[in-house]
Amino acid sequence: MIIITRSNITDAELDAIRERIEQHGMRTHLSRGVERTIIGCIGDESLLAEVPLRSMPGVEDVLPVTKPYKLASREFAATPSVVRVGDDPSRPGRVAAFGGRAIAVIAGPCSVEGPEMLRESAEAVRDAGGVMLRGGAFKPRTSPYAFQGLGSTALKMLADVRRSTGMPVVTEVMDPRQIDAVAEHADMLQVGARNMQNFSLLSELGRVKRPVLLKRGLSATIKELLMAAEYIMAQGNRDVVLCERGIRTFEQATRNTLDVAAVPVLKRETHLPVIVDPSHAGGVADLVAPLSFAAIAAGADGLIVEVHPDPANALSDGDQSLSFAGFRSLMERLGAFAEAAGRSLGAAAKETGAAA
Amino acid sequence: MSAEEARQALQRCRHEIESLDRDLVSLLARRVAVSKEIGSAKKAAGLPTLDPAREAEVIRRAAGMAREAGLNDEKVRDIFWHVIGLSRAVQVDE
Repeated sequence: MIIITRSNITDAELDAIRERIEQHGMRTHLSRGVERTIIGCIGDESLLAEVPLRSMPGVEDVLPVTKPYKLASREFAATPSVVRVGDDPSRPGRVAAFGGRAIAVIAGPCSVEGPEMLRESAEAVRDAGGVMLRGGAFKPRTSPYAFQGLGSTALKMLADVRRSTGMPVVTEVMDPRQIDAVAEHADMLQVGARNMQNFSLLSELGRVKRPVLLKRGLSATIKELLMAAEYIMAQGNRDVVLCERGIRTFEQATRNTLDVAAVPVLKRETHLPVIVDPSHAGGVADLVAPLSFAAIAAGADGLIVEVHPDPANALSDGDQSLSFAGFRSLMERLGAFAEAAGRSLGAAAKETGAAA
Repeated sequence: MSAEEARQALQRCRHEIESLDRDLVSLLARRVAVSKEIGSAKKAAGLPTLDPAREAEVIRRAAGMAREAGLNDEKVRDIFWHVIGLSRAVQVDE
């Protein structure tokens, strides 16, 4: 249930409404917008059935949230959310913002293979207009015999490159036991497609003070993706960015089928930012640019792209990785699409203040 | 302010923060101890341990005081839900 309040409501009136709700063992969440302020109710709404909220001073309307996701639903927030990554005073460097006017592009290698290639990748991504670096430390591979990632060694390399380039980094966390180490080194924690419904992992991530990049599962519906986001948000972490990365269909010409329609559907259903992974969706480097253009046209807030200094010799996902030149070319052509969609490119990053 | 004076001011403020933190923790410990007594009293009086109406009142009061003190009331609400959590835990464990 949400309570829409009058624009001139006082703090004392807001407090009184919230107390009335919290008296019944529920919690409230306040979302202030320019035109209206919304109180969201979290908990068993049937307890409020007899409470005359509508007649309380300052209340304009009381609406049920009929969706099974509450905190993630569009109605719950007065305005679309902007998730800021790297906005930590103890970590000087850039901030990447998802969900604002600027399209935010994350890029980097599938796996961290060594310090040199990671640094080169970070610089190439930054110089081409990317705002964040990706790099896998723990790799969920279909085969237990495939390269599994460099683990904690890679985390340290990511942190080093963040310090030297100022680029915030995102890396995948596969297991609740890895969360502390990943949160210590990375600025954003990624939940991979295969873990989208790992509910104990999601709940633990809800207690972390770092933004989460939640990828859609291989065969997950949009509703299931939003319920997964709800798991994280229900534990207190409201900084979730959703990622459409292609779904499994009968088509074999592409690794997955990019569900372009998921982008506008998600933008309608949730206030959370939505980005697209054209690399995993298409599975081949040639498809990255057209799928990126489609994503931006459909209203995506950003992209996550695989880039490698030498795609032919990459230890994982070489076929779908762009070379540095390929990434530069993509970024050059992306600007026009961003503009056509009423957005800008690359302006999301800005310097934060010095360390406290 | 010279560099040396600034360094001394920083040092002084940090000492003050340390002492305030000590006060905060000892106040929390006192609050938890009182909550424990309340828990026993509720039990003796045959009242339920959890009292959401009372919790809501505590939160509302804290938010109001936070605003008066020029603090972000939303953050103070969050902090007080945690404080209530500490008290709840000792009452439920009884």
